[in-house]
Amino acid sequence: MKYKDKDPAPVPNGHKKIEQLKISIKPKELESKFTNILTEAADIELILNAGLHISSLGTDFGAEVPGSEPEPVYGFKARANIQGNTIPGFNKDHQHFLFYRLGNVKRAKQWLRWIAPLITSMEDVLAFVRLHRAMRLRLGVKEPPMCATWVNIAFSNQAIASLVSKADADAFGDQSFRQGLAARSTYLGDPTSRKHSGHRQHWVVGGPKNEADIIVIIAADDTEDLVTTVDAIKTRAASSGLRLLFEQRGDTLPGRLRGHEHFGFKDGVSQPGVRGKVSTAPGDFITPRYIDPTDPRARYFAKPGQLLIWPGEFLLGEPRQQTEHLYSSAPAAANFPRWAALGSYLVCRRLRQDVPAFWKFAISVATALGVPSQQFASMLVGRWPSGAPIMRTQMTIADNPALAGDEWANNHFIFNDDTRASSLIPIPGYGGDGFDQATQDFLGTVCPHFAHIRKSNPRDISTDLGKPHDSLLRMILRRGIPFGKPIFGIKRPPRGLIKKERGLMFLCYASTIEMQFEFITRRWVNSPIQPNFGGHDPIIGQRDTRGNRTRFIDVPTAAGPRRVDIKNEWVITTGGGYFFSPPIAAIAGVLGA
Amino acid sequence: MALVTRFDTPASLRDMPAGSPFYDNWHNHIAGRLSSSTPGSGGGEFYDPSEVNVNIAAEHLLVWMGFPRALMVATNRDNRVAAFAAGENRDVQEEYCEWRVTRVGGKITKVVFVTETPEYYEKLWAVDRATVVALYRALVSPAVVEADLHTAGTYNRRNSWNTTNGIVHFIQTINTLNAALGLAQGSVNSGGARDNYEASPGPQTSVDPRVAMDIGSLSRKGFSITLREPIGLYITGFDDTGWSKPDGSPVDNYWTITRGSPGLVLRLEYEVPAGSGFVVGDIRIGGRPIEYGGQIAEHVTCMIGGVAGRRAR
Repeated sequence: MKYKDKDPAPVPNGHKKIEQLKISIKPKELESKFTNILTEAADIELILNAGLHISSLGTDFGAEVPGSEPEPVYGFKARANIQGNTIPGFNKDHQHFLFYRLGNVKRAKQWLRWIAPLITSMEDVLAFVRLHRAMRLRLGVKEPPMCATWVNIAFSNQAIASLVSKADADAFGDQSFRQGLAARSTYLGDPTSRKHSGHRQHWVVGGPKNEADIIVIIAADDTEDLVTTVDAIKTRAASSGLRLLFEQRGDTLPGRLRGHEHFGFKDGVSQPGVRGKVSTAPGDFITPRYIDPTDPRARYFAKPGQLLIWPGEFLLGEPRQQTEHLYSSAPAAANFPRWAALGSYLVCRRLRQDVPAFWKFAISVATALGVPSQQFASMLVGRWPSGAPIMRTQMTIADNPALAGDEWANNHFIFNDDTRASSLIPIPGYGGDGFDQATQDFLGTVCPHFAHIRKSNPRDISTDLGKPHDSLLRMILRRGIPFGKPIFGIKRPPRGLIKKERGLMFLCYASTIEMQFEFITRRWVNSPIQPNFGGHDPIIGQRDTRGNRTRFIDVPTAAGPRRVDIKNEWVITTGGGYFFSPPIAAIAGVLGA
Repeated sequence: MALVTRFDTPASLRDMPAGSPFYDNWHNHIAGRLSSSTPGSGGGEFYDPSEVNVNIAAEHLLVWMGFPRALMVATNRDNRVAAFAAGENRDVQEEYCEWRVTRVGGKITKVVFVTETPEYYEKLWAVDRATVVALYRALVSPAVVEADLHTAGTYNRRNSWNTTNGIVHFIQTINTLNAALGLAQGSVNSGGARDNYEASPGPQTSVDPRVAMDIGSLSRKGFSITLREPIGLYITGFDDTGWSKPDGSPVDNYWTITRGSPGLVLRLEYEVPAGSGFVVGDIRIGGRPIEYGGQIAEHVTCMIGGVAGRRAR
């Protein structure tokens, strides 16, 4: 017998049909519960992390593991050449993004030579962090009154062809970069129908007719400083013939929601730890090391839950992760122009978020399941709004802001086996991780297989590409920031505010776009069966099968899994681009020469 | 759960009429490959469900990429085109998924994927050669005759209709059901590993670590584990989202399941219907023309089903 399915999407669960969950909620009840969610959010206690990640710089954070492979040392010259948003990341509360199209090449090069000294390096950011930390200790406050304004820049493949040569543009090994985001849009699950508002034809930037050549990222602690620098760059760019295609302001959410995205969840808790050292001094690592060297996990974790990744996964021309091993290095890639070494690919996706649509879905399903809405929404994410991982709240089944605020505990969990407590080096003022450790969740009954954090970062589980060691090759450095005014946490927001656009400027850095960002997006987030059966990522997953954009999740219940179709969308791509963030020396020396 | 009284054929194929000795032979072949119980780490075991009664607590489907990971990740990390070119050779298609490309004038017109094992055809041959010939004729060419398929009476796995002239079942040396059963049974012992980071990373393939780590992890929890009926290696997913016709519109559904059933696919064909004005080689995946079968294999997901439980008392 021949089968010819109308829809080639796989039959879930091999060949067994999964029962649909019956969802029935009256519109009035739904509206009422949605209002309550926003109100409750305004009252919940959220413990906030400090705005800046504390890097080591001073030999007091991180012990060397005897016998471990030496890591590359990034001396002053290298640190001054690496753009600072790549490593260690700007992480500023206020950012502005300028998207330019090149005009006259000669004048554009003049502008590049003008802006080159403004570009903030890894050295600049680390120096600020060093000073920030010293001030915190001296003043005894979490947020010392310090301000800085930083600038980074990146170029499309077309821009490199125009500014340097087509041969140089073609020498970039990442084919997706050479094609650009618009050409890869539907491969990433974006809408195929031009009638859909998320179709690339409608993008505010990065569509087939408005692809940007250059992105400039300006970040500041102070909004006035930000505006001043943005204005200066815009003025100079305009007089140099560059056409501003689009600009976007981004701000961390205000008050207690700082660090959260618009659905209300803490974002960016889990980031890979970049291997490498700032100096040859013992323990002077880029990423602080907190695992006691006597614990075997000190070889591959920087702190509990933060995997160590060789820098070549983010910086071109540096030692990379060995494909079959947790902590060995592999030779650097060489498929790029020599001047691009220490640069990094940059993915930008402007994502519009429909907060009412997300929460109304969560409320509807939660009501059908008979569980609190916030609990079910947290299952969709894998973390509670505070950032506490649901893997570590199995006993209480409630948010735990204290756990969320503990950076040595909030990311310490694996999925397939019981998580064992880590042995940590002495950390001044830290009393230890006393929270319940996560117990195994092989079948995804606690943190479902579809949960965003499980889909996008499978941690210890074996995947469709085998061992979890392979997943280390997929890591990205996320540098997103929200845009638009929030409604989560606002009591009774006016209708006009609800209708305003809001979302996330998603940015990430990697040494390949295809095998890192696109891999995670297409193979895991957008797939209902990879790395495990269980449905699509309900947060950022996209699916377009011949115009059908329905996704689904298989919700674990005591009676077995129940299928829930997701017909509405709450994350819609509205622009972006694929760029290359060059080493700073190349901005004036090659691109502007 | 009651004992399995007779192991079913892959995807419950019914190539022979009911009552044929072939079905008992197939059962005996599987049963003969499974130990009653293979003790594993943490008190778990891999068991023969025709001999050991276990109360099933959970079902788990193990999935992996059809294209060989060793080519894409381990040996051609920076050159995907080279990986796809190398992958056209069936002797390196080692992920329990093999495919064959048909070209006309250099352009791909059809790609056929199989997950059928040579053992199945050998057992069938032993009972009824005519059925095997009929299958070959239906799947490959009406020109197939019995003499093409054997050497001195012994079924030839690498006969021309399953190599140079067509594809019916696996030929790669470790793509066998016996190897898969051996892998599954052996995976129950993960040494002293307490989690997958401590477990042996295993070979460069996707499938071996996938099976070893999932079964090893279940065994560490003290489960009794076996493969889900009907035991077989399957294609369970194929993703053509983001693929476009020459005019840029999304492709129609050009997949046909010719052996097996949805979710339990044994033979999958990708071909644009005649009269469409273009062929497979004109389709673009994420903006790139299909030049190798491996570009499609990357989006084919293979699967083996497993179950876990506790021994019935």
